[in-house]
Amino acid sequence: MNNLLLFIIRYSAFLLFVVLEMIALVLIVRYNDNQRTIYLNSSSIFSGRLYNFADKAYEYNNLRDIADSLANENAKLKTNIFNLERTIQHISIAESPVDSCILEPYRIIEARVINNSINQRNNHFTLDKGIADSIRAGMGVISPHGIAGIIDQVGTEYSTAISILHSAARISAAIRRNNYFGSLIWKETDPRHMILEAVPRQADLLIGDTIVTSGYSYIYPRGIFIGTISKFWIEGGSNYYTIEVKLQEDIARLDQVYVVDYTGERETQQ
Amino acid sequence: MTQSVRHILRGLLIIIVQVLILKRISSGSNWLWLHGAVFLYPIIILLLPIRMSRHYVTIIGFLIGLLIDMFYDTMGVHAFALTATGYVRGILLSYLEPRGGYTTAMSPTRHSMGINWLMIYSSLLMLVHVFVYYVGEIFTFVYIGQILLKTTITFLMTMMVIMGYHLLFNPRK
Repeated sequence: MNNLLLFIIRYSAFLLFVVLEMIALVLIVRYNDNQRTIYLNSSSIFSGRLYNFADKAYEYNNLRDIADSLANENAKLKTNIFNLERTIQHISIAESPVDSCILEPYRIIEARVINNSINQRNNHFTLDKGIADSIRAGMGVISPHGIAGIIDQVGTEYSTAISILHSAARISAAIRRNNYFGSLIWKETDPRHMILEAVPRQADLLIGDTIVTSGYSYIYPRGIFIGTISKFWIEGGSNYYTIEVKLQEDIARLDQVYVVDYTGERETQQ
Repeated sequence: MTQSVRHILRGLLIIIVQVLILKRISSGSNWLWLHGAVFLYPIIILLLPIRMSRHYVTIIGFLIGLLIDMFYDTMGVHAFALTATGYVRGILLSYLEPRGGYTTAMSPTRHSMGINWLMIYSSLLMLVHVFVYYVGEIFTFVYIGQILLKTTITFLMTMMVIMGYHLLFNPRK
């Protein structure tokens, strides 16, 4: 017993080191299982506040860029509105009016990215909206030029989302020209490209084909532009293409984003 | 007393610089930043008094690591690396001990120990820190090439800011 005590005292620094490293390892493993405690990540008020403050200080640098991209987006929206109005005119002549929740199942909440990363294996970003703005886990996040991620943890005023640059992100995407679809995943280290898998080999593909969201899951509406095909090949013995997609959105520069709330789903569940 | 207050204030400032400025710098999308980052915060451990007990240094390393993790969203990885750095520091200091031992007046700075001693001390500890960090982040030795590449790039950039800090501010304590 005495010897044991002497041993512990003699090697106490080493034992302390081992214990602390064990704690750190447990934290890492828990983190990898996506079971983070909510107050130790950036959706907690403490670090969220600080990031929000810092973001305000930085935002004056790129006001010009933001204005340009907003103007661009407005132009696109206007085009869409005109097209839709025309379509609706045609429908209303032909059919009786339909319930508005069938026509407009999506509600868009705008938010800003206040913290972002792209150079880790599993990337996350933080938004400045939370439960108070009716954001819930599992909603999709879209950006002006494409898609950005999926909401993961929600705090009262801030929320974190897993980026599309995350090893667990799988997004159902389709080729617009011929409607073949597959799932979009990210191979580490290149934030400008993603891989579209499981497109069958009879599909005819061209470099430059447009990739859009398929709408087969409720996370993203159908037809959001994601990027274009930059390369495609067939792995030996496979029946499916591996397609490299060049993303339209530069995830490193995410700023203004939109969270997609699918209201139709809740009604069908009830 | 004033000594420890100064250490704490300096530590907080360095952490703020790390998470608000250096983190943003190292989130660019070009090749260099995809494989590297800049870590200034280990300098807090490097600058702790030489005669401080190994236990305290290890615990302080763990706590600062956790704080950095909160801002980097990398729960536990920085804590893992900085605990190792804090522990190895004690071993390294006893290897680098000058003839006649450390006096109370000595501190791990350029002013007190000279640039050669400081270079050896900082670079060995940073090598340990950065390597353990990427082992913790990537978590498997299958990607040993990637671990070594990232360690090399991050190590070089980290040494630049740490030696830059010493040359610019020339801390006495």
